[in-house]
Amino acid sequence: MPRPTPRTITFTIDGREVQAPENSMLVDAAKHGDVEIPVFCYEPKLGNPVGACRMCLVEIEGIPKLQTGCSTPVKDGMVVNTQSPRVKTAQQAVVEFLLINHPLDCPVCDKGGECPLQDITFGWGSGISRFVEPKRHFVKPLALSEKVAIDRERCILCYRCVRFSQEISEDYQLVLLERGAHSYVATFDGRPYEAPFSGNIVELCPVGALTSRGYRFRARPWDVEDSGTICTLCPSQCNVKLTVRDERVMRVLARDNPEVDDGWLCDRGRFAYPKLAEDRVTEPMIRDGGELRAVSWERALDEAATLLARAGARTGALAGGGASNEEGLALHHLIRETLGSQNLDSRVAGTLPLELHRALAEPALQAKVPDLEFAHAVLVLDCDPIADAPILDLRLRKGVRRHGMKLVPATREQLLDEGKRRELIEQLRAAGPAADGSGLEVVVLWHERLGAGPDGERAVRALLDLAATLELASTEGAGLLEVPAHANGRGLREAGVLPNAGPGLSDVDEDGLDATGIASAFAQGELSCLYLLGVDPPANAAGAIVAHAAFLTDALREQADIVFPAEAYPEKEGTVTHPDGTVQRVRRAVRHLGEIRDESQLLGELSERVAARVGLAVSA
Amino acid sequence: MKLLFKNIDEPGLATREVYEQRGGYASLRKALAMEPEAVLAELEASGLRGRGGAGFAMGKKVSFLPKGSIDKYLVCNADESEPGTFKDRELMQKSPHMLIEGIVIASYAAGANRSFIYIRGEYVQQADLLDAALAEARDAGYIGENILGSGHSLSLVVHRGAGAYICGEETGLLDSLEGKRGNPRLKPPFPANQGLYQGPTLINNVETLATVPTIIDMGGAQYAELGTETSKGTKLVSVSGHVQRPGNYEIELGIPSREIVYGLAGGPPEGRQVKCWFPGGSSSPVLIKDDLDLPYDFDSMAKAGSMLGSGAIIVVDDSTPILDVALKVAKFYRHESCGKCTPCREGTNWTVKMLERVQTGEATPMDLEIMASVQEHIIGNCLCVLGDAMAMPIGSLIAKFRGEFEAHIEQARAASGLTVGTPAPALAGGLV
Repeated sequence: MPRPTPRTITFTIDGREVQAPENSMLVDAAKHGDVEIPVFCYEPKLGNPVGACRMCLVEIEGIPKLQTGCSTPVKDGMVVNTQSPRVKTAQQAVVEFLLINHPLDCPVCDKGGECPLQDITFGWGSGISRFVEPKRHFVKPLALSEKVAIDRERCILCYRCVRFSQEISEDYQLVLLERGAHSYVATFDGRPYEAPFSGNIVELCPVGALTSRGYRFRARPWDVEDSGTICTLCPSQCNVKLTVRDERVMRVLARDNPEVDDGWLCDRGRFAYPKLAEDRVTEPMIRDGGELRAVSWERALDEAATLLARAGARTGALAGGGASNEEGLALHHLIRETLGSQNLDSRVAGTLPLELHRALAEPALQAKVPDLEFAHAVLVLDCDPIADAPILDLRLRKGVRRHGMKLVPATREQLLDEGKRRELIEQLRAAGPAADGSGLEVVVLWHERLGAGPDGERAVRALLDLAATLELASTEGAGLLEVPAHANGRGLREAGVLPNAGPGLSDVDEDGLDATGIASAFAQGELSCLYLLGVDPPANAAGAIVAHAAFLTDALREQADIVFPAEAYPEKEGTVTHPDGTVQRVRRAVRHLGEIRDESQLLGELSERVAARVGLAVSA
Repeated sequence: MKLLFKNIDEPGLATREVYEQRGGYASLRKALAMEPEAVLAELEASGLRGRGGAGFAMGKKVSFLPKGSIDKYLVCNADESEPGTFKDRELMQKSPHMLIEGIVIASYAAGANRSFIYIRGEYVQQADLLDAALAEARDAGYIGENILGSGHSLSLVVHRGAGAYICGEETGLLDSLEGKRGNPRLKPPFPANQGLYQGPTLINNVETLATVPTIIDMGGAQYAELGTETSKGTKLVSVSGHVQRPGNYEIELGIPSREIVYGLAGGPPEGRQVKCWFPGGSSSPVLIKDDLDLPYDFDSMAKAGSMLGSGAIIVVDDSTPILDVALKVAKFYRHESCGKCTPCREGTNWTVKMLERVQTGEATPMDLEIMASVQEHIIGNCLCVLGDAMAMPIGSLIAKFRGEFEAHIEQARAASGLTVGTPAPALAGGLV
C-alpha cells in the first residue's frame, strides 16, 4: 500500500519562514521552526485529531476564526501566528477554563513535575484565576483496575484514555458518562478496566488523573532518572524507559519507536518490573549434600570448568529467555569451539534443515513491523499475536482500522492442505489493488511453532512455496515475519546457537542434536553435562546440569548442580535481534543485584578455564 | 403568502389520499421527469437558505456532494431542540407527506440512495405519524426501488433520538445516528464529503426539505421572487413568550418584525411592553423593543448583531427580570453541553454559577465584567456552536441590560445583608 511520502513546503510562523512536511498538522509543523503550540487532547498515536481541548488555537491568515493547530494540515504559503494578542487571550482562556475544576493539588500529585497541565499553565496561562465558585468533587482516588487509580477531580476530560480504549486497543471498556461539566471517565457499571494494554492510559493522561498504583507516591520526577533499554520479556522487544531511583526500577514507560512498538507497551512489560527484583538468585550456588548452597565465584567457576572439561563433546547446551546475542556467541564459543560439541540449540520446535533456515533468512524476504500496517493483507499463520508478541496485536488493529488492511488468520492445517492453501491465496489476492494480483503486498506473520512436530518441515516448505507464489521476495513492503518462541530467538539462532549452523548460519562440520535430541540423550546418559542459558532443565536428567538462572525454579532446585546467578534485563548490557532483523541495544539501567556478574563475560571466563583444562590455546 | 401552510389545517392532510387531492406528489412526478442536474438548478435558482439555523444556501449544499456512483446519504434533521422552536413539529404532524416528498426530490438531485429522518425522541406522536405516512408512501411506490419508474431508488428510515440538544448539531446527529455518543465532530471534513458512515451526506432541516416540492412546483426563479434580495421565499416563524397569540406563522421573509410580534401574534398582554426579544431561538443575541422595526430576514437580523436562526421569536415583556431570562438560557445550555470541548463545558458551567451568585446577592458589579469576558472567551473558540449559543445571548443581555443587572446586584446584596465593600462568603475564599 502506498505510504505517505510528504513533500516539503514552506510556511510562515510568527514571522519566520519554516520548512515542514506538507499536510503535517500545524502543531507538528511548528516544531520545525522551534515553535511550540500547546496541546492536551492531541496525540498522533491515537489517530485522527479530535480538536476537543481547544488549547492549540492559532491564527491563520485568511481565516476569520482561530483554528486548532492540531487538526489543521499545513499548506504551502500558509501564514500562521501563535503570538498575537488574540491567540494569547484564547490560550489563557482555555487554561483558565481547564483549571476551574482542577484541584491544583500538585504538591501531592504523582504527575507534579512532569505534568503537561502544569507546564502549559506556566507557559501559556495568565497566572491568575478569576474563578471563586466551588469546584466539582468526586470520591478519590478510586481503583480503575488492580493497576490503575483514577482521580476524577484532576481529570480535564481530554478523551485520550477513552480514545485509546476505543480506537487503539479496541477493548471498548472506557467511556465517558454523563454530559457537560458532569462528564467523567468510567467503565460500564464500574467494573475494573481489565485489558492487555490498560497501562498505556497512565502514560497518555496529561494530568494526574490516571496513575499507576504501583508507582503512586514512590518518587517525584526529580528523584529519578530515566534509562532507555529494551524489554526482553517477549519477542516484541519493545523500547522502554526505566524510571530508576536508588538503583531500583520504579516503573516502566514506553520509549516511542515507530519501527518496533509504535509507542505502546503491554501490561506485562509495564507492570512486571517489581517481580524482576524479587526472589532472585544473587550468588553462585553448588549442590552440596543434596541441596544448592551459595559458594564463591572462584569455586563455582572452577567446578563448572572441571565438569565441562570432563564431559567434553558429551556436553549439550540450550539457550532461551532473554539471552543476548553476545551471550549466544559466547555459548557457541564455549560449547562448539572449546568443548567440541555440536549439541546446542535455541529452538524448542525441533530442528529445520540449514537450507530452510537460510531460505527463511533471505534478506529480500524479510518484512518489517511497519509493513504489517501498510500491507494489503496480513496472513497470521499459526500465531496468536496477543499471546506471542502482544504489541503486534495493536499494529494489526491499526492496519485494519486506519489503512484497510485485510487480516487473514490461518492454521498450519490450512497451509498444508492444497485446496485450502489455494483458498487462502485467493483470499489474499482479493485484497490486492488489481484483479490479477499484481502489486499485491502480503506480509505473513508466523510463529516458530509452525515448524514444530513431524509436519514442521513440510509446513515451512509450504510457507516458502506460498511466499514464492505471492512473489513476496520481489515485492516492496511484503515478506515474512517470524515470531520466535523466545524473546531473542532470532538473535540466538544467528549467533550460532543451532545444532546445524554456526554464527551467521554458517556451515558446521557435522550436525549436532537438537533440543529434543539433547533432552533424550541427556536422559539416557549419552550426554553427561547440560549447560542451560535462561531455560529450565528437561525432565529425567541423568547427568550434571550447569545453569544460568535469575530465579530458582523447582526444576532447578531439584536438578541443577551448579547455578550461576543471571541478570534480569534491567541489569543487562548487550544486543538483541528483533524478529524482523533489527539489532537493538539493551542497556544496563540498574546495577547487578548481589554477586551477579555480566553473563557474557562469565561465559568467556568459563571458556578460558575449560580451555586451560583441555589443553586448548585460548583463541583471541 | 402561504406555501408550506397552505392547507395545513385541512383535516386528514397527514394521509396520502388528502395530500394527493391537494396536489401532493405532483412535484415528485415533475422532478423525476427532469434530469437530476435540472432539479438541482431549480433548487439553486430558488435561493432557498437552510431553515435550521445556519441559513446556508440549500442548492449549494447539494452541489457540494461529490458526483459519481458512491454511497451517498440524505439526512433530515428533525431534532428540533432549540428552545422556542416548534415549527417542524407542526409540519411533520400535519403534513408529513410534504417532508417525504421533499426528501425524495432532494435525494434525486443529490444522487443519494439512503435517507434518514432523525427525529427527537420527545416527538413521539410526530414520529408515529411519519412512520404511518412512510408506509403509505412506500405502498404508493414513492419510496423504494425504481421510484415511479425513474430508476432512482431511495430507502428512508425514521430514527428516533434519545433526547439531547447536541444531536441537532449536524455532526453530533451523525454520530448519534451511527449509534455512538452524540458528540460533535471536528470540521473539516464536512458532512458533504465525509458524513454518515464516512460517506458524502446531505443534511437539511425539516422545513428546508419540505419547501423543496413547492420550489419544483413553482419553479426556482418564481420562488426567488418572494422575500428579499438575500432571503428568498417564505419562512415558518414560531412565536412564543409574552404574546397573546403564540404559535406558528408562515411569513414572507423581509416583513417588519413588528408585524409578526404585534400583527400576527398580538403583542404582549394588555398593559405590558416588549422588553427584549430573541429573533431566532434562545441562542440568538437578544434585540430590544426598537429593533422590532427591522425587517425580519437573514441579513437584517445579522446586521443588528443577532441572527434569524431557526425563526423562533421569543418575546420577553417588561414584567420579567432580565436575570431570570439569563439564568434560564444559561442553565439550558449548561445542561445540554456535551462536554467534549473545554470552553463550552467549563464556560457554561461557570456562567451559571456566576449568575446564581448574582441572584443570591453574592456578586459585585465586577462579576459582570468577568461574566462578559467569559462569554467572549467562549465565542468562536469551541468545537461546535453550542458554546456560542449560550455566550451570544448572555453576552448581549449583559451588554444591553447592564443597568438592570447592577441594580439587581445591589438589591440582592441589601436583601441578603451584604453591602458594597463586604466580601461575600464565596469571595472570601480568595484565589483558586
